[in-house]
Amino acid sequence: MDKILTKKALARWGKKLRDSRVFFPRLSADGRWDYVEAAAADELTLDVRQTAVPPKKILFPQREVLAEFSETVEGTAKTLELKEALPEDGSVVIFGVRPCEGRAAWLLDKVFGGEFTDPYYWKRRDQTTLVGLACGTPPSENCFCTSVEGSPHSEEGLDILLTDLGDRYFVRALTEKGERLVSAARDLFQNPKPEDKKKVQAVHEESAGKIKRQLKEARVISEKLTGLFDSPLWDDEAMSCIRCGVCTYLCPSCHCFDINDEIESASPLQGKRVRTWDTCQFPDFTMHSSGHNPRPDKASRLRQRLYHKFRYFVEVYDKFMCVGCGRCITLCPVGIDIISVLDKVKSHGS
Amino acid sequence: MAKIDELKEEARKLLQEGKVKYIIGYTTGTDGWSAVPAFIRTAEEVDRIVWDPTCVHNLTKFLVDEKRRKSRSRKPDTRPVGLFVKGCDSRAVVVLLQEKFINRGDVYLLGVSCEKAGVIDDRKLAQKLKGKKPMKVELGDNGRIVISTPEGTLEVPAEELLADRCLECRANFPVVFDVLAGDKVKRAVEKPYGSLEKIEKLTAEERFKFWKEQLDKCIRCYACRSVCPMCYCDECVVDSVNLSVTADTSAEEKAQRIKWLQRSAESSENFVYHFVRAIHLGGRCIDCGECERACPLDIPLRFLNKKLEKEASELFGYEAGFDAELPALIACFRDEDPQDFIR
Amino acid sequence: MDHNAYIPQLARIIEIKEEVGGARAIKTFRTAFVNGAGFVHRCGQCAMLSVFGRGESMISISSSPLVRDFLQFSVLKTGRVTTALHEMEAGDLLGVRGPYGNGFPVDDWKGKNIVFIGGGIGLAPIWSVLQTTLLRKDEFGELSLIYGARTSKDLVFKDELYELKKQMPVHLSIDVAEPEWTEFVGFVPTNVLDKKPSAAKTIAVTCGPPIMIKFVIKNLRDIGFADEQIYTTVENKMKCGIGKCGRCNIGFHYVCKDGPVYSWAELKKLPQEY
Repeated sequence: MDKILTKKALARWGKKLRDSRVFFPRLSADGRWDYVEAAAADELTLDVRQTAVPPKKILFPQREVLAEFSETVEGTAKTLELKEALPEDGSVVIFGVRPCEGRAAWLLDKVFGGEFTDPYYWKRRDQTTLVGLACGTPPSENCFCTSVEGSPHSEEGLDILLTDLGDRYFVRALTEKGERLVSAARDLFQNPKPEDKKKVQAVHEESAGKIKRQLKEARVISEKLTGLFDSPLWDDEAMSCIRCGVCTYLCPSCHCFDINDEIESASPLQGKRVRTWDTCQFPDFTMHSSGHNPRPDKASRLRQRLYHKFRYFVEVYDKFMCVGCGRCITLCPVGIDIISVLDKVKSHGS
Repeated sequence: MAKIDELKEEARKLLQEGKVKYIIGYTTGTDGWSAVPAFIRTAEEVDRIVWDPTCVHNLTKFLVDEKRRKSRSRKPDTRPVGLFVKGCDSRAVVVLLQEKFINRGDVYLLGVSCEKAGVIDDRKLAQKLKGKKPMKVELGDNGRIVISTPEGTLEVPAEELLADRCLECRANFPVVFDVLAGDKVKRAVEKPYGSLEKIEKLTAEERFKFWKEQLDKCIRCYACRSVCPMCYCDECVVDSVNLSVTADTSAEEKAQRIKWLQRSAESSENFVYHFVRAIHLGGRCIDCGECERACPLDIPLRFLNKKLEKEASELFGYEAGFDAELPALIACFRDEDPQDFIR
Repeated sequence: MDHNAYIPQLARIIEIKEEVGGARAIKTFRTAFVNGAGFVHRCGQCAMLSVFGRGESMISISSSPLVRDFLQFSVLKTGRVTTALHEMEAGDLLGVRGPYGNGFPVDDWKGKNIVFIGGGIGLAPIWSVLQTTLLRKDEFGELSLIYGARTSKDLVFKDELYELKKQMPVHLSIDVAEPEWTEFVGFVPTNVLDKKPSAAKTIAVTCGPPIMIKFVIKNLRDIGFADEQIYTTVENKMKCGIGKCGRCNIGFHYVCKDGPVYSWAELKKLPQEY
């Protein structure tokens, strides 16, 4: 379903969605862009640079309660009650999702689906409508989505894709959820004219050319990784890594997590089983109880991150897990640049 | 801006003569203008080393890595590592020496003076440039920062771009070094700890509100801990495992390890994490500002550490990282230390 | 309602047996599900045992799937969760979720001889397949066991081993000689060379400490076993058990979901990072 929405009408669309929790990217007082929940008085706007934390924090929050356990003691008899704690009901709409972030959601769908479906992720995912915004200009200096089979106007993972045409948005509803969201405010939308469709195409074509950084021949690099597992290349590249975890915490497609029991009362036992974000970059991530660690050094952990994104995921799903948002490059405190490392992989040995 | 040609000559000689394992310095990163840490292993590579106001990183952190690397090797290479240090970085080296974490012979210090200036804050630079892309950032002769962009050159008074910590810096040139580039000149500081004033003026409720808002942003990535040279403990209070367990560590010892902190990024846990870390750094933090720079959510962590730095100075007359002979603050006492908290 | 893979079922401990005491204590637990159907597993699969308030630990199910009254787990005391398990008593409740992982391809081995090679606690993950083939012994050739531990006290399933000797060749070993010990003295891989099982129409199934597995595989290949004839089960640190938390991977496989059972032909193709 294709529609047109004037920019003036955007704010009214936001207000019509009173039954949902609405998130949109906003500049905070200290100059940071972040996806925040709209309060009743907030005006919906969509001008955004890249946020530090991607919208994955809404579909896959830093902390998720999996279950609650409580013990009751009657004399000498102890019984234990275990209750799953699914996310609460309620529809969510996230505006301003970048195509790379939508694509990351599409990739996470594969991780959290499959043989065992993750009911927590899927409850949130099913309740959430992702309204994407095509990137007219790259949101970051370090964007390289076109190098990893994405694009600044890709539709994967999104329910709606908006394209900025100056004073109005071209609105393409991609899924049933998207169509419902448009229908919820149908009087705000007009039908597109033929010149609108032409303009959209032009904007899309132009946007790919504005991306400054390229990772050339990513598929060739992916193949080459197979033979470079034991290469000393990784020791060199990881020398300046300080294993801070920022690259993975802020990556839209990273999904590693830890599960811990949080005790609220020791006797009678009461508590929650909770999952929290974790990262393969921490030294204890793979450490066995005996102290044996399959990835004992920074080189093996950097290698794991790159292989997971560019080799292992490709082997399983035939897609890059990296969406080319460039956050890991922008935010790495020591300037480790994934494009530069992979370029070295390509030229290694030749 | 200090000229490092002599340092680079020294670096080449050290590498040619095999006197150091490698040299840790700064080089220009892939964006073409901002510095990143570099590991230089051959005399030819020394040409890559740069010095400019974008050299913000505290390279002392890599000495901790080097120590870990040596401890894993059966026959470690005991030659020193060459290290480029600014004034603040050299204070970190001194703290590691004070705590006997490293020996003086483990490191060959190539010191650079900030010559009354310092390093820039990239957020301030971005605000100043308003979208223009920098190609080079240099310290001009007249105390101005000179930025070349495709649209022309910008000259900005250093105070507008320098990192906040540089404006209060008390170590404008390295306090310990083997060779030094640049003049030993100090920048006049009107108010040491001046940056704390706006928070100290707040009431307790306002302060709590400020910190709750800031710390609620925290996602517990621990980048602040990872980047700090003084956070070198293998058995850190935040981790539920002791990183230095071996096959011989008893199950009881592992089982009895207290979980002081949950991994959940909830308000209470975040407060505990950051405040405990600040306390563990009391009398040790030398205000390199790396924790705040590394934080992807721009939490103003410096204030916590700076406050304790002020306390250490006012209560005990102690300043970390100036004298390697001094014991660590919490490892000593004087008879005249205040006792008014003992009732 | 779709079964939530993260939520364990409650089970009661019906029997605890101390296999090994002291610093490297091992206890064998038999559990029965409290309500609900529980599950049927395949040999080689594992389950996550929950001690509520402490955490979870992925343990191999060492009972045969042909045994329906209980699930058996042998647990080495090594950390927070396993110490808590060791402190439990018969009648206590714990959580069990599973079964996870692939199993041993037992049906592919019909007509073949099977030599089981275990070290220390490594006998537990292969006990289920050993018991199953024994219960179905008409379908297979000769079954035998080569098993060792550091000392005679560290051997697990001691009573069952002496019973087993009546049903199949069982070659035991300990690392260092002890006064009453009459069998082989030395490491398990060396005992493999000493007993030199024939590679003809034989499958070898091995589990133990990583270093033992490495040398057992090497020695088996030296005496003529092809990579496809050697099977092992690997372990890694796990949390979710269902291939989502990202922790236990070896290359593009998750050990919890795509493993833990591998033939050496398959395992050697993966990055040797485990």
